[in-house]
Amino acid sequence: MNFTNALYLATRSLWWFRGRAITIMLCLALTLWLPITVRLLLNQFKAEIVKRADATPLIIGSRGSQIDLALHALYFDSVSPDLTSMSEAAYIQETGFAVPIPVHIAYRTQSTNNVDGVPIVGTTVEYFEFRKLSLQSGEGLAILGDCVVGSNVARKMNLQPGDRILSAPKNAFNLAGDYPLRMNIVGVLAPAHSPDDDAVFVDIKTAWIIDGIGHGHQDLTAADVDQDILLDKTDQSVTASAAVLPYTEITAKNVNSFHFHGDESTFPVSAIIAVPHSRKDQTLLLGRYASDRSELAQCVKPAKVVEDLLSIVFRVERLIWISSLMSAIVTALLLGLVLLLSIRLREAEMRTMHKLGCSQFTIITLVGTEMAILSLAGLSLAIIAAWGSHWLASDWLRSLVF
Amino acid sequence: MINIDQLFFSYPGSTFDLEIAQLSLAKNTATAVVGPSGSGKTTLLHLIAGILTPTSGSISVGASFVSSLSDAQRRSFRLEKIGLIFQDFELIEYLNVLDNVLLPCRIGNVLSISRSTRLKAERLLTSVGLEGHQRKPVTKLSQGERQRVAICRAMLANPSILLADEPTGNLDPVTSEQIMTLLLDAVRQHNTTLIMVTHDHSLLSRFDNTIDFAQFLTPVGKVDAHDVKEST
Repeated sequence: MNFTNALYLATRSLWWFRGRAITIMLCLALTLWLPITVRLLLNQFKAEIVKRADATPLIIGSRGSQIDLALHALYFDSVSPDLTSMSEAAYIQETGFAVPIPVHIAYRTQSTNNVDGVPIVGTTVEYFEFRKLSLQSGEGLAILGDCVVGSNVARKMNLQPGDRILSAPKNAFNLAGDYPLRMNIVGVLAPAHSPDDDAVFVDIKTAWIIDGIGHGHQDLTAADVDQDILLDKTDQSVTASAAVLPYTEITAKNVNSFHFHGDESTFPVSAIIAVPHSRKDQTLLLGRYASDRSELAQCVKPAKVVEDLLSIVFRVERLIWISSLMSAIVTALLLGLVLLLSIRLREAEMRTMHKLGCSQFTIITLVGTEMAILSLAGLSLAIIAAWGSHWLASDWLRSLVF
Repeated sequence: MINIDQLFFSYPGSTFDLEIAQLSLAKNTATAVVGPSGSGKTTLLHLIAGILTPTSGSISVGASFVSSLSDAQRRSFRLEKIGLIFQDFELIEYLNVLDNVLLPCRIGNVLSISRSTRLKAERLLTSVGLEGHQRKPVTKLSQGERQRVAICRAMLANPSILLADEPTGNLDPVTSEQIMTLLLDAVRQHNTTLIMVTHDHSLLSRFDNTIDFAQFLTPVGKVDAHDVKEST
């Protein structure tokens, strides 16, 4: 019997017993789908998480959890580490070993167009160069209050340059605290397939204004100011009551009134990305933070932190594999039983074939071909379903990770 | 010519034995095998076809000693020289009429599917009145039509021997008569030797010979040359 004949008879038989064939095929597909999907998603997860970590040489932040620091700086994770200050960025600059890029992620935007708020990342222009972020439309950050939005934010919230977006106060009942700031969207970033797509970027000074460290208000030295709001006025200083409200939007008209109280070197930042000039500089900087600065801050290699994190994730994957293996064994046993029963049901047909001159080997070839077709169809269906699931779940996974 | 000499056969673990001292059947003749159930009629057909191997003795069909062939040789011998027809047709339900007729070409290496084989199968179906039914599932056919498909399947390889095991057993008298005519026509037109097991004694007059197992087969079946009667 040649392969064409075996294939022909097997396909005719499968078509005739199509109910049973489809059931077996679906059982196989379902058993294979889960481990394939898990593998694809974990590969994507690993690739994306490792890619960004590998692309970020060093992160400096306050002492504490290295994982929190790395995840916050890399993926704008909502679990915020203890804050460090701009003095750390100044220190890195002074060493000459690396370019410091401060990032301050303390606030989120308000929900817009029924889409949950996204993190507001305060940083410097070096960040955009470092991450190779380009503009899809509009312009870059120019003045206080400007923001550029990630591609996903623009798409989901239906935003474009010229629109406004509000920051969300951390505590709505704190009257003396942070006021929401209405930011002007000046640009939309091109898709980067990274957490940058799901964030709003502002200059770090705008982030401090949202934080309440800087503000703008009416000129209290002007002649037309309401005297009732002034508590004390001398030639050197003016003290006003809480009735003086800060501006909630920065415009060309009021931008000059915005100012910061205190020393900028003490202003908070969540983390500082350090981009060393060379491998040697990186080692030297790491050494500094392991010795001189070890009491003040920590310097972590994100790739190492993520590697440690992934080892936990892939331990979980092993559990999934074991459970998939168990279900595969059960399915294989059930399929074996189905096969055995179907052979018994088709015993008469096989006896007829034998009487006509068919060998035992040919009968095994026929049944084998049927099983091969079913297995191949089940595997193909599982791969297609896994690919579909992966495609559907990749955005969800990214949102889960980042 | 079919020659059986000192044949002994018994099923393992069974008390049934079949013993045939001497039996010769001439070429291009029609022989009826009659006898009670369980007397060994089907066993005899299976031994001639090489489905069963005799415990001892020999069976030869023409120049082939069936009893001394290997398994593979007996399968090839069956596909090439023997046409088998069964009481319950034994058609493959998932194949259509034409594919059932062509089945011997698909399950072995003796025959192959070619344009001429297909044409022959179609001609055979036409000759038994099944033209236009080629693509029909066999489950949609009547009992008589199914048996005609089985006959076409048996005739496809131009077998020198046609072994029919109660082919009319499940058929009504009219259909039964049609099938008999077809089989006997096949013997005349295709130079085939027909050996047919039947319970219907009214058909015996249409055969050249009759082997009657009834007279001597309990408890141990034994056929001798003189037991083969020439039909009158």
